[in-house]
Amino acid sequence: MSDYWPWWAGAAGLALVTINYTLITDRSLGVSSAWDRVLHWRAERRLERQEARFADEGALADALAAATAEEFGDRYSTEDRRDEVQAQDLGSPAVAATSAASVRPVPVVTQAALLLAIFAGGWVAAVTAGRFEVRFDMGAGFRELVTADPKIMIGLLFAGGVLVGFGTRLAGGCSSGHGLSGCGRLRPVSLVATAVFFGTAVLVSFLLWKVI
Amino acid sequence: MRNRGAVLVANVITGLALGYTVTNIGFGDYAELNRMFTFQDLRMLFAFAGAVGIIVVVFAVVGARRTPGRIHGGVVPGGIMFGTGWAISGGCPAIPIIQVASGYLPALATIAGVVVGMWLCRWANARLFRLDRGSCGL
Repeated sequence: MSDYWPWWAGAAGLALVTINYTLITDRSLGVSSAWDRVLHWRAERRLERQEARFADEGALADALAAATAEEFGDRYSTEDRRDEVQAQDLGSPAVAATSAASVRPVPVVTQAALLLAIFAGGWVAAVTAGRFEVRFDMGAGFRELVTADPKIMIGLLFAGGVLVGFGTRLAGGCSSGHGLSGCGRLRPVSLVATAVFFGTAVLVSFLLWKVI
Repeated sequence: MRNRGAVLVANVITGLALGYTVTNIGFGDYAELNRMFTFQDLRMLFAFAGAVGIIVVVFAVVGARRTPGRIHGGVVPGGIMFGTGWAISGGCPAIPIIQVASGYLPALATIAGVVVGMWLCRWANARLFRLDRGSCGL
């Protein structure tokens, strides 16, 4: 009998985390994209600065329009005029930019905080459950199913990590992004990705267990 | 939500809860993971599938916004690579973090691999694939 949580507690916990994140931030939870953005923080910061500059230019245009209206008179307010233009010009690049801005990525520093908090949460869970122990192996399961040789272990963990990193970014998400958030929204791409990565993991795990 | 501070707080709380939950379910334990993938023990599979079921219902009720996404050329090969790597190393992108947090120091090699893999993917995609891969998390 496992001393881990029963399935229903795990299901409730994972669902609560995903739903709360989405309701609070209006975005999808995705750990692989958080990793990707933190790793490429220079490019992400450049994009954030560009967005901020465009936002400043928008504010400047609004200020100029308000000043013009004050000087020459205008029966519309700036906001009214913007709404009218958008209503008449649906599909224009400006409207597309406005729509895109509503789902623009969260600041990259918040993604770094997410990864660090996952570490802290995992550490608290391990310590409070009495499972924390500094080990130089991956446990009996890895030793029996994969390898007991330390050098091969490190090589396989690294190679597996490369496949995980490359694969999740190529597929556009991982078990949290595609598996929980995407499948929760019944997105076709997430359903396909989850079926493929889960099916492959089943196949490889059976090979490790029964064949190799 | 546009407020930077509020997003930061939300991410910290989410990260803490996710790390705590995933560790307590047992996703960091290689033996448990292999038992899930080989259907010897359905506890973790039910936890994952049950979570998806709850999320589907709640998102439908609250009318959660659909995020963009299309089935592009990288989905199937990427999924195969990820599934293979997950079964071998026992880690999806969040798992090696909680493995290290639980004291499994060799999982640092998995993290190093994830970092290299993500760099390689962005490099290869910019030069070879040129796929618009999209992303789940924003």
